Formats: sequence, C-alpha cells, structure tokens
Amino acid sequence: MAKVSVQEKMQSENERVAAANRAAFAKAGVLVLNLVSSPGSGKTTLLEGTLDRLPAAGLRALVIEGDVCTARDLDRVKARGGSGVQINTGGGCHLSAQMVSDVLGRLDLASADVVFIENVGNLICPSTYDLGEDAKVVLLATAEGDDKPMKYPTIFHESALAVLNKTDLIPYIPYDIGKVEKEIAVLNPRCEILRVSALKGDGMDGWVSWIAARLTAKRLGAKRAG
Amino acid sequence: MHELSICQSMLRVVDGAMKAHEGARLRRIFVDVGRGSTVEPSLLREAFDVIASGGPYDEVELVINDIPLAGRCRACGRSFEYQEIALGCPACGSVSVDIESGLELNVRELEIDD
Repeated sequence: MAKVSVQEKMQSENERVAAANRAAFAKAGVLVLNLVSSPGSGKTTLLEGTLDRLPAAGLRALVIEGDVCTARDLDRVKARGGSGVQINTGGGCHLSAQMVSDVLGRLDLASADVVFIENVGNLICPSTYDLGEDAKVVLLATAEGDDKPMKYPTIFHESALAVLNKTDLIPYIPYDIGKVEKEIAVLNPRCEILRVSALKGDGMDGWVSWIAARLTAKRLGAKRAG
Repeated sequence: MHELSICQSMLRVVDGAMKAHEGARLRRIFVDVGRGSTVEPSLLREAFDVIASGGPYDEVELVINDIPLAGRCRACGRSFEYQEIALGCPACGSVSVDIESGLELNVRELEIDD
C-alpha cells in the first residue's frame, strides 16, 4: 500500500484549454463576454438589442450560441444581421472550454471587436467552467423574483456585471429591485449592476457603454503590456 | 447537475497520475470538495458510482473531504465560517474579506497497491 500525492485541480484540463482560448482572443484583440442566466431571463433578447445598437458605436460582434438543442437562438441572432456559430451540448448543462475551442476555427475573430458567448440557460453549472472569456455577465430577470442572488451565490462571485433585465415588468409584480442590488453587493462588491429592459430598450445605452469601456480597457492594457 | 462531467474530469486527472505507476492497483481516490465549489458531494459520489460500475474503477473507493467555507476579515481581523458564501464580513460588515478555504475542487492523493 502506497500513497501517491496528486494535488491537481479536477478542472485542470478545462483551465488549460480556457487559457489557450484566452490567448487566441487576446491575439485578435477581441473582448469576450460569457452570458449566463437561467432559461428565459432574456439572454438572446439582450443580444438582439445589442446587435441593433453596436454598429452606432462602431463595434462589430460575433456570437457563440450554446443550447442543449436547436439553433433557434442563432437564427434570431442572424435575423438581426449578426453572425456566429451554434454549439449544441446534447444534454450538457453548460459550455466547456473545449466546446468553444472546437468552434474557434469557424469564427473570423479579426472581423470582430466583441464576442458574445451565450451559455446554456442555467444559473449553477456554467459558473464552474472558465471558457477563456474576459468577463462573465449574469442576467437576472425581475420575473424570477428578488430572492435569487443569495440562492445562487457562485455565479455572482464570478461575474463582473449583473444585468437586471425586464425592468418594464416591475409595476406588475411583487419585486424589490433594491433588495436584489443589496444582495449582489454583499455577495460581490466588485460586481457592477445595470438595470435594463432589453425588450423596451431601457438601459441598453448603458450596457453598450459598459462593453465599449471594457473593450478599451482590454486593448489599452494589452498595448501597455506589449 | 454538472457532477457527471466533473467526475469525468476528476478521472482524467487520476488516469494521468496513474501513468507513473503502471501495473499498480488503485484502491482509493482522495478528493477535496469545498462547499463553495458548486459541486455537491453526494451527487459527485452518485456520478462516480455510475461511471465506476462494471468498469476499471469498480473496486475503487472515492473518499471526499468536505471543506467548509472560511474567510478572514482584513478590517477587524476575525476569522469565520460561512454558511452561505458571501464576500462580506459577518461581524463588522467590511467587504475586505479573504476567502481562505471552501473553493477547492482537487484530486489530493491516491492510494495504490504496488
């Protein structure tokens, strides 16, 4: 009987591939955002509104769509003039770095400023998988209730930004947006918060400004480091 | 419910470590699972049982070390254990907190028969 010391992260393989993805994104100078939320929070609607507004800011986008089944979300993206690729996980509850790596060859990164990765609708599992993104953005719709951040804490620790979507529904439902913002601040004081109605357009300019600021910071940082 | 794919990642790490001990028989896998890691120990065990059944890991025991979430506040110096993971100090409310344990998801060691 002998003991063999291993001391290795279970996620080491995913982390290795995520680092390679991150290097490919850095080389192309693109900002990569990993959008995470439960199903129906409005990730694709946010993307539709974003694709409508990015050209005015002089920004070009690519989309990596993750779903268990169908290419419905990619079809919606294409209908707004967007382009990208669809990943079907076939039952998997999250994207992995390898799945993203497998489709990178089909994306012309040089033609983009921002890459959006729309993760599988799930508030738990995607938080454990680094895809090589610059930031995770968590969406939380008002209709999901105002008690969610504390119930699903990990994704809020991991996210740089929380988009509180469907603010247009607030007059019709019991929902205290201040409570949600307070819980997020307790979970992660560094997580920024935006109030948005992707459907009606409220707050979308702030979201586009946030993207532009992140992109500028990334490119400046790379320039200074280089 | 991502424990199945976490389990597969875990076994890739185990297989990698076993390459240096060809011919040895694997008895036990010791892993660290922090309470803030998003992995549920009971589900990881179920996933392992499903994967191991009838395969090369059939006789192998998975030993899970459940690690509580603990932090230390830089402002008041107190150490504490979190029930719910939060990045604020439960005593003084400062957000200047270092998480000291509870985020682990590691294969720590293996027990083998040479």
